[in-house]
Parts: sequence; structure tokens; C-alpha cells
Amino acid sequence: MLKINNLHVQVGDKDILKGLNLEVGPGEVHAIMGPNGSGKSTLGYSLAGRDGYEVTDGSVLFDGQNLLELEAEERAAAGLFLAFQYPVEIPGVNNAYFLRAALNAQRKARGEDEVDSIDFLRAVREQLKALQMDDSLLKRAVNEGFSGGEKKRNEMVQMAVLQPKLAILDETDSGLDIDALKLVAEGVNRLRNDERSFVVITHYQRLLEHLVPDQVHVLSNGRIVESGGRELAERLEQEGYGFLSPEEDAA
Amino acid sequence: MSELLEQFSAPPLIELESDLEALRKHAQKVLMQHGFPQRKTEAWKYTPIAALERRDWSSDGPDESAARTESIELPFDAHRIPVHNGQIDTSQLNEIDGLHIEPLRAEQIDTSAYVDHDPSDAFAWLNLARLEQGICIRVTHTLERPLALQFSSSDQFKQAAHPRIRIELAEGVEATLFEQHRLHGSGLINLVMDLQLAAGSSLQHLMQRQNDESALIARTEAQLEQAAHYQAYVLDLGGALTRQDLKVHLNESRARTRIHGVAALKDKQLVDYHTAIQHRVGPSHSEEDFRILADNHSMGVFNGRIHMLPGADDSHSDMNTANLLLSEHARINTKPELEIHAEEVTASHGATVGQLEEAARFYLRSRGLNDAEALALLKFGFAAAAFDALESEPLRQWFTDRLKQAL
Ligand SMILES: Nc1ncnc2c1ncn2[C@@H]1O[C@H](COP(=O)(O)OP(=O)(O)OP(=O)(O)O)[C@@H](O)[C@H]1O
Ligand SMILES: [Mg+2]
Repeated sequence: MLKINNLHVQVGDKDILKGLNLEVGPGEVHAIMGPNGSGKSTLGYSLAGRDGYEVTDGSVLFDGQNLLELEAEERAAAGLFLAFQYPVEIPGVNNAYFLRAALNAQRKARGEDEVDSIDFLRAVREQLKALQMDDSLLKRAVNEGFSGGEKKRNEMVQMAVLQPKLAILDETDSGLDIDALKLVAEGVNRLRNDERSFVVITHYQRLLEHLVPDQVHVLSNGRIVESGGRELAERLEQEGYGFLSPEEDAA
Repeated sequence: MSELLEQFSAPPLIELESDLEALRKHAQKVLMQHGFPQRKTEAWKYTPIAALERRDWSSDGPDESAARTESIELPFDAHRIPVHNGQIDTSQLNEIDGLHIEPLRAEQIDTSAYVDHDPSDAFAWLNLARLEQGICIRVTHTLERPLALQFSSSDQFKQAAHPRIRIELAEGVEATLFEQHRLHGSGLINLVMDLQLAAGSSLQHLMQRQNDESALIARTEAQLEQAAHYQAYVLDLGGALTRQDLKVHLNESRARTRIHGVAALKDKQLVDYHTAIQHRVGPSHSEEDFRILADNHSMGVFNGRIHMLPGADDSHSDMNTANLLLSEHARINTKPELEIHAEEVTASHGATVGQLEEAARFYLRSRGLNDAEALALLKFGFAAAAFDALESEPLRQWFTDRLKQAL
């Protein structure tokens, strides 16, 4: 599904990712943990194709194609989804309209017909209900005035409607109350199948208890410095990142 | 600017009855004395009057295409009043209950508010100095259909025309007025509209303009009596030179107004809004929101003045202007002015000039919209908010559809 090889990314003049390797198979859930500023969001943005995140070396294969030569919107249409750490407010654009425009744009790019508007609304309402969000959010401007938790859940609504092949969740669990965290985890679990993969960036073990990742990675200073099973997350939760070898930290 | 005056004064005028003739003479005198706005005339410093001077006004005469009236699309049944090349045609308005059309009389022209010691109001004086056709529309009952003033000019239109329209709403009457402009050619429409809202009446005034080279200079002045309600929604989608003065006088208590406008400009288009809301008596209420999106080499101007006079106690006013610069060559000048001489008033004003955020653009693209779609959606979201308050869903739809098409 995703194969990242020796990825180097510069933002401004600063090297942020410094030879990152990661492989995620179909249907797998990978967690990425790591200290603040280590480059986790940078990885998400680079994969999603944000301007200013310049890949200086390495390669990324997504579903067999060279991800790096695609525009951001082409990556979305190809099935890549990034749930933002800080979802962006879009004043004046109503949520339902935006979602439908996004879905139709992706479908058009894939040569599919536009969605039927009734089916669409039904699907969105279902997702809202599952995430215990009020229908009125559909009529409000995208993320505008949403609480922190509502913004995160709104990302999950979008993910569920857009049905990506690979979803990168950048700290979707941060700022969620305990119940909302469960809802989000359930939302992810509902989408899980043999094909669909997830990269879950998180600082906490709690979300992973619900998601049960196949692998846990530690990103530090622009590289994956440790990988393991879910027990790695538990160890990090207890010990922090102190046990990482000093050379890795300084590299 | 004396050349401009000469050029505008050249074609002979048809004769009017003596009171109007006297008014015309007086206006000509004021014009002769002070001429047209100069660069240093504060209220006109961004309106490129000089560009008008460079145009060829010499070819005035019968316009061969005068007969060709363009019909401007309107999704509603309306009482249409075409104004082609400046000629007001009320022939479609026969025998409609509650609607009376009359030639304008001298006593219906109030020049007391026109500045006569400098060129600030030169175009209002010019409108009078060249007055040929003025009409008064009296609405004595609430109409079933809106009125539609449809301004158009042909490709050959090179003249200056000075239509003058007065609309009176009787007590308690509700009306919707569409004002559409599709000006082609390279002339000038120098329009004056006087709106009289009697006690308890309500006017919804919807302006939509999409002009090319022909210039539009419009002065719209609304006088509100007790508890009258004036709402204006303006959508400007281009024009080489559009100047709109919008003056609302809240003359009696509980009068209220809402004026909202959007200009989406590109190329070398220019829109200059000068609004003034006078709270003369309290409590009175005003709300204002203007948004300009300037792309390419275009220029947008917003000058909004709120004046709370002594006696306007307990009044309330909100003014907001939000602007988007879409190109490094575009310019926006915005200036809210608040002058308060009353007690116990609440007034707020805000003005922003910004650019589209990269984060928002990327967010939309990451969901599958291409860059052009993302841009259009962001611009739309920014501007469309000005029409949120439009109560009628079909009207709001009509406005937002126009806007969407233009972005
Ligand atoms: N536009 C930028 N210009 C310069 N430096 C940047 C820019 N964007 C990010 N960085 C730097 O890149 C580094 C990695 O940032 P990133 O947001 O990827 O960290 P993170 O691992 O997601 O951290 P957190 O856990 O706090 O979310 C940080 O040091 C950050 O300051
Ligand atoms: Mg981050």
C-alpha cells in the first residue's frame, strides 16, 4: 500500500525528514509516536503533497504508483487521506456543500459519476450520528467555530464519506474527551478491512488500545528509530522517549 | 477638468418646464464654478475621473442602435423598466394596481444635501444640469411582483446619459426593487436615484452589475421615515469604472437599514463605494457589510461613513468591511469612518484586508479539489456571507449563483 524509502524533506531551508523508511501493507494499522517537533506532521503533509514540503531525496510508492509526482488533489483522488492535526476553518463554505464538492471532485478524477445527492446526505447523516455530532454542523461553515473535539470528529466524518485507501490520522485523538476518543476509534474500526490501511500519529497509548495497531514506530529527529509491536507503545507510555539511544537523538 | 465640462455641455438639451429649467440653470452654474473632482478632492481621489476626460464624447447624436434593447435575464416575473442608453422606458408599466409613474417635478428634487462649495457632488449637479428625463415611481400598495430597473447600453454607446429616478413608497408598503446594469460601449451613465420610504414601509433593493468599458456613476439616496426599513444588497461583477454613492438617512425613530455589498474584480476593473448612513433620530438601527475581492490589476475602494447626529440617542450601528487581495498588483483602499454626537449609542466597526491562506487552500486540495476549484470555493465562501441575511431563499440563491459563476 505505502512504501517510503529514504525520504528526505526540507521545509524552508530546514531538513526535517532525514531518511525515513516505512512500509505499510494493505489492511494494516501503523502507529507513529515521537517527541514534539520530530517530524510527524511533516511526514503527513509531505505524503499529502503540501506546497513548501520539498522532497530532496527518497521515494514514496502508494498503491504501486509514484506518489511524489502527483498533485495534492490527485493524491486524494488516488485514495490518500490526511486527518489534520489542526483542521482548517473555511469561512462561508458550508460543511455539507464542501464534503459533496470534495467527493464529486475525487469521483470525477477517477472517472466516476457524481454522487446522488439524497444518497450522499443519507451517508453523511449516518456518519454524523455514529460520531454523535449534531446535524446542524452540516449547515455550518467548515470547522468555523467548531470546538476542538468537533473539528477532530469532523475529520473523521470526512474520512468516512471519502472512503480512502490510506488514512493518515495526525493526532486525531488529541483534545478528545474519553467518550469522543472511543467514538473516533470505533469510526476507524468500522472502516477497517483487508484493503484499507491507517497510519495513526499519536502521543498516547489510549487510542491504540482501541485500535490495536499492527506495528508501532518511533519517529525521532526525522527518522524512524524504533519499530515494534503494541508493547512498544506501552513501554513509551511508561518510560517516555528517554531510552532512545543518544546517538539516534543527536543524529 | 474644464474640458470634461465642455464636452458634457455640448449637446443641446430638450426644453423642460420652467421650474425644472431653473434648477438646471442653477446646477450648470454650480458646475461651472467648481468643476469636476480633482485628485485632491478627498471623496474622489480613487475614482479615475481623468480616464473619462480622455474618452471621446464628441460623437453625441442619434444612436443608431437605440432601438436594440437587450433583455437582461431575470428569473422572476417583474415589472420591468428598461433603461437603454440612458433612456427610461416605462411603457411596460401600464395600469398596474398600486403603481404610478409620473414625470419628475421640480419640487421632488431636493438639492439641499448637495455640496455646492467644492466639486464633491459634481456628478449629482451634472445629473441635474443635463436633466432631460426624470421619472417618479409611486408605489401606493404592496406589489405582488418586484420592480426591475434594467440598465443596458449598446456596444456603440459613447454618450453620457443622466437618468434620474425617484421612487416613493407609501406608508406601510413593501417592495422589492431589482437594479441591474449591463453596460456595453464606452459611455457614461450618471444616475441619481432618490428613494423615499414613508412610515412603516420597507424596500429591498437588489443591485447587480456586470459592465464593461462604459462607466457608471451612481448616487443612491434613501430617506426613511418612522420605522421604515431599507435593505440594499449590491453585487458588482466588474466594470471599468463603477462609482456608487449610497446614502441612507434615518430621519425618524425606529428607522433601520442594512446595506451589504460584494465586488469581485479582475483585470483593470474599478469599484468605488462611498456609503454614508445618517442616524438623525434615535433609536435607529444600521448594519453594513461590504466585501471586495480584487484580482489582477483591479482596484476596490470602500469608504463607509456612519454619522450619529445629536438626537440619535440609543441608536445602534454595525459596520464591517472585509477585503481580499488576490494579486500583488491589485489594490484595495478601505476606510470606515464613525462620527458620534449622540448619547447611549452602540457602534462597532471592523475593517480587514487580507489574502487567501495557503493552509485553507491546501486543506481543500487535500480533499480532492483542484487548485482552481479550491480558490473559487474560498473566494465564494469569503464573499457569499454578505448575502446570508437575505431573507428570501430564491433571491439569495440568485445572488450566490451569479457570484459563483463569476469566480
Ligand atoms: N514552515 C516551517 N518552517 C520551518 N520549520 C518548520 C516549518 N514547519 C515545521 N517546521 C519544523 O519542523 C519540525 C517538525 O515539525 P512537525 O510539525 O512535523 O513536528 P511533529 O512531530 O508533528 O510535532 P508535534 O508532536 O508537536 O505535532 C519542527 O521543528 C518545526 O518547527
Ligand atoms: Mg504534529
